[in-house]
Amino acid sequence: MIRDAEGRYWEEGQEVFETPQAAPDPKPWSETRVVGTRRMRVDAYERVSGTAEYPSDLLLPGMLYGAVLRSPHPHARVLSVDATAAEALPGVRAVISGFTPLNAALRPHEQLIRETLFGPVRRFEGEAIAAVAADTPYHAHDALRALKVEYEVRPFVSDERDALAEGAPLVHEEGNRVGDASTYARGDVAAGFAEADVVLEEEYRTECQIHVPMETHGCVASWDGDTLTVWESTQGVFPVQAGVARGLGMPLSRVRVIGKYMGGGFGSKLSMGDYTLMAALLAKVSARPVKLFITREETLLSAGNRPPSNTRIKAGVKRDGTLTALDLSATGTGGAYRAGGTGGLDFLVRELYRCSNVRTETQDIYVNAGPARAMRAPGYPQAAWALEQMMDALAEAIEMDPVALRLKNISLVSQVRGRPYTTTGLEACIRDGAEAFGWEAAKARAEATRDAPVRRGVGVAAAMWGAGGGGPPATVILKLFSDGSLNLNLGASDIGTGTKTIMAMVVAEELWVDPDTIQIEHADTGTTQYATASGGSKTVPTESPAVRAAALDLKKQVLEIAAAQLGVDVATLALREGKVVTTSGPSQEVPLARLNDLRRRGVVVGVGYRGPNPEGKMVNPFAAHFCEVEVDTRTGRVELVRFLAAQDSGRVMNRTTYDNQVHGGVTMGVGFGMTEKRVLDRGQTGRLVGHGWTDYRIPTAMDVPTSLEVLPIDLGDREANSTGAKGLGEPATIATAPAIANAVHHALGVRITATPITPAAVLEALAAQRQESTR
Amino acid sequence: MSSSKEPPRGDGLSVSRRGFLTSMGLGAVGVALPEITPATGPEIVPAGDVTRIALRINGRTHPALVEPRWSLLHVLRAEVGLTAAKEGCGRGECGACTVLVDDQPRYACLTLAVEAEGAEITTAEGLMEGEELGPTQQAFAETDAFQCGYCTPGQVMATEALLRANPHPSPEDIRGGVSGNLCRCGAYENIFRAVERAAELRSGGAS
Amino acid sequence: MIKSFAYVRPTSVDDALEMLGADGARVHAGGTDLMGCLRDGVFEAERVVSLRDVPGMRGVRASTQGVTIGALTPLAEIARHSVIGEQYTALARAASVVGTPQLRSQGTLGGNICQRPRCPYFRAGFDCRRKGGRICYAVGGDNHGHAIFGGVRCHMVHPSDTAAALTALDATVVAVGRAGERRIPIGDFFVAPSVDPTRETVLEHGEMVKEIVLPPAADDQRSSYHKEGHRRTWDFALAGAATALRMTGGNVAEARVVFSGVAPVPWRSMAAEEALQGNTLTPEVIGRACDAAVEGAAPMRHNAYKVGLLKGVLEKEMLRYV
Repeated sequence: MIRDAEGRYWEEGQEVFETPQAAPDPKPWSETRVVGTRRMRVDAYERVSGTAEYPSDLLLPGMLYGAVLRSPHPHARVLSVDATAAEALPGVRAVISGFTPLNAALRPHEQLIRETLFGPVRRFEGEAIAAVAADTPYHAHDALRALKVEYEVRPFVSDERDALAEGAPLVHEEGNRVGDASTYARGDVAAGFAEADVVLEEEYRTECQIHVPMETHGCVASWDGDTLTVWESTQGVFPVQAGVARGLGMPLSRVRVIGKYMGGGFGSKLSMGDYTLMAALLAKVSARPVKLFITREETLLSAGNRPPSNTRIKAGVKRDGTLTALDLSATGTGGAYRAGGTGGLDFLVRELYRCSNVRTETQDIYVNAGPARAMRAPGYPQAAWALEQMMDALAEAIEMDPVALRLKNISLVSQVRGRPYTTTGLEACIRDGAEAFGWEAAKARAEATRDAPVRRGVGVAAAMWGAGGGGPPATVILKLFSDGSLNLNLGASDIGTGTKTIMAMVVAEELWVDPDTIQIEHADTGTTQYATASGGSKTVPTESPAVRAAALDLKKQVLEIAAAQLGVDVATLALREGKVVTTSGPSQEVPLARLNDLRRRGVVVGVGYRGPNPEGKMVNPFAAHFCEVEVDTRTGRVELVRFLAAQDSGRVMNRTTYDNQVHGGVTMGVGFGMTEKRVLDRGQTGRLVGHGWTDYRIPTAMDVPTSLEVLPIDLGDREANSTGAKGLGEPATIATAPAIANAVHHALGVRITATPITPAAVLEALAAQRQESTR
Repeated sequence: MSSSKEPPRGDGLSVSRRGFLTSMGLGAVGVALPEITPATGPEIVPAGDVTRIALRINGRTHPALVEPRWSLLHVLRAEVGLTAAKEGCGRGECGACTVLVDDQPRYACLTLAVEAEGAEITTAEGLMEGEELGPTQQAFAETDAFQCGYCTPGQVMATEALLRANPHPSPEDIRGGVSGNLCRCGAYENIFRAVERAAELRSGGAS
Repeated sequence: MIKSFAYVRPTSVDDALEMLGADGARVHAGGTDLMGCLRDGVFEAERVVSLRDVPGMRGVRASTQGVTIGALTPLAEIARHSVIGEQYTALARAASVVGTPQLRSQGTLGGNICQRPRCPYFRAGFDCRRKGGRICYAVGGDNHGHAIFGGVRCHMVHPSDTAAALTALDATVVAVGRAGERRIPIGDFFVAPSVDPTRETVLEHGEMVKEIVLPPAADDQRSSYHKEGHRRTWDFALAGAATALRMTGGNVAEARVVFSGVAPVPWRSMAAEEALQGNTLTPEVIGRACDAAVEGAAPMRHNAYKVGLLKGVLEKEMLRYV
């Protein structure tokens, strides 16, 4: 969050709006009773019993099932859609396409239907052509098969490495470059290289990673007159509400979006999808509720991805480890539309290590493939894969320990933004992490396996996340009922990170109540207050100060009620275990349930807002990951023997969910680094090769590190916000893959510069190494 | 098993002629008796027709009108209304739909409902003891063995299957036992702890 | 989401064969591969013939004549069967590394050796040669998982782990059709694409596997199976080795070496067997066998690593016998 001269707040180029402040933010707690402990989730029961209702679980009377016909071609013009046969099938209730007739219900949305949802030119395999609703999902898919579509198939380009070649087919008429290259420069890179003792240059590639949350994307849409209710699997009900209202030309007040449970998103569910509008339209035209969840196959094609990247880094370093220059040029692709194909790709090079001379250039490219969506730290894992392997190579070249090289180049100031960080845990993550990991001993152990068929290696990689400080807006309401129990009302989604539990702990911390007595109402635009989507590792730092403010507001009112009742000065009162007690003077106490004014009113309401972030400071999380591998040189198998993740995400709010989040980040990083790769049939058909999890491989229970340790680094951030928390979800995944790559390099002496590190990649690298040595 | 011509629709269910199993209406006892197969050879349910079957789910008999192509998962979720088993892929590639069929773990999405006739089907709902969590579920709650929770009922059922067959699994057994269940949130580390804890709870260990 | 099909559940082998004779009839054993193929449109089924209630096709029978395994026996049962584990270790190991616990409790041995290829082009709706088209997309596409042996016209690799083990153990497949029963040595059961790229087995339409017979295991026979995939589990073999050795006095009296994941059929390596037979398993002998095993390999653009991988897998397997 950046505050400009006019006092406006900006994040990633978007203005964000401040919510009013009832009182200045208090300082973070210096001691806590509840916050920071290990606490079972408040919704654990629902999630393990099966009673948690995910949007895809919803069953409504008369509900139909929607399905989407998607283009089988990477690039085509749709000439016609004939739905006659499909509409005649049993159980089929509605068909919508760019070519089928529109009745009175759909006519107001003609432009949306004809041009946006089902436009004539389809630029990627999986782009929508038509949608249907039927009595069962089986009948809906029967209808899809019965639709007759004529295509004019067009030339395509599926790989960004081919897309800028002369004569490459054009994705859009204006060309395959998405605007001009983005550039950044500080200092003098040429001078920096001139003063370096060692200059290295290397190219790195990361493959396209797909979110594939366990619950696919979709919703249930139901109309009641001119009011639409949408139960959507989403990270943010308010962005979905805004998108639907805009798309259908409705006031926000007529669109209610509910998304209490959701089966994972990782950035792919930050806003509505085309499926949301399709479900709403199908429901409107059929006058029935419609459940439309896309299939697993469709998620691989059309629900976003982390784009592939191609990065060249040239780096200069002095013998003493001082970085003298960093020069990055990178390409990426957001797919067939503007989707930030290179977003975040150069940030780490600009920011992570102290370096006076930096130049970066990134070029986003169109290809005929599914558009990217933000995926867990967009751009950063790709960037870390390149930068952190380069750091390792530099360390080797100057014969310096890779931990020491990184410690040599810590910056306490955001070099891009010219402001100090509130806290910089980078040094502590690396130093304390190395010590907890037993870096030196593990390194020595690995050196002893150099001639064995199974070799050990250790690797380190560091990271930071360019957001993660959170900020306004956030509005939270806390209600105290007449018996002393509470209702916490916040609009944010708990996407599985434990948001609800942490917020209940914050309330419990301030009001000295049992977190389990707090009922939580959340993620419903009809009943809760505006919140931004849960993404960007900002939910806890955004919402927890607002929750704390609401608790303090409530506490103030309760103590005033008690002071009047007891006839004492409010300053002498405090809350203790469901009672108001005096802390000085004659000992008196009154249980909350005996507060007369509360009983008369039935409720006392506290309201809290998220205050602004500190002026002139940056709030960022940091991390360092350490990995010990065992590599079988005969089979190329890489075993992750040990892994340690040191994370500076400010205050640990709930150690239980903190550890879990980090496990998850590391696991997704293992997938990014070792198993996941979207394969498009480059040069032949351009189509996706493999339509499920058999071919798009994500880590299984057998693929995660045998031992996985989490080391929280809490430097006691007094400035970031009133709870001292920074974001965790994204910084926990950025450094994983390069730590593994560096460990593999340490074990084998070969560097694998392209993800994923498969047995094939290891064996190929070893074969190349042998060839090199016999030359 | 029998068939009728009408497709199943919300606005008027077709009625079957006869059932493979005549368990419907047997009430609380719910014993399923196979009807004698006619001498003329097995009856064919035509494509697109529905047939009446009775499924034994969590100790109760549920009659259902199903098409032969319907998966057990679809019938559990959309017809019977038991939604703990989740659809993650519909292709037998994730495990979110894991249920027990005669104590064996199965992907309900790869199992035709008609094939499950006569078998004892157990879903996560069936592990509950009234409103109380069963020991395997309790273990998952205690060890925070999930994030979004969508794969969790499937993980719980895979664990249940493992522990019914192997009450004292080794760490290798545990990893293998849940290796057919993907967790995209990456909560595997705690899932391993959950299986250990479930083994303790089930053998009357400290709670 | 799969298309409609008619469904029938016969209660005798004869009825099942009668039902299977119809055009478009497909057999349902465990259903794990069938459901996937129908969903992906690999083939269609007008009628699904369930073998669930056909008696006598499930279970393991051991006798002095060897072991007979009903085609419907779930892989999980084979993996934990004590006689198979002791005398036919390769099969038990192969069965134990198929898919996942769920797939092993549902999938059957008969189904496992008859499953359709997992080549992603074949599965994902490409009109490839195995589907009667004119192109093998693997040739010009991503072929990291494809064959290094026997790739003629079609370059898929045979997906079955148990097929390799059964080949190493010299099994016989008993097939039944309306014309009666035939006993097919496993070496003759699988069809190479050089013969016909559109089918994987010699089974005719209307025929099905009834059981698989393993010859009596010699007292000195040991066997093993190991595969390497992309991941540590839930993957088809990139390369696997089923081996069966008879050892007398430290010497290899007889060896059978069969590879999975490298050819369109379970790939028996006579050359490797010859390099082992009559020799003590010294590092040199093992090395010669590994070299012999990959003689004649014809890697494609992305799968040259399989040559080294195959050698690595065989070497590690041979060290088990030392």
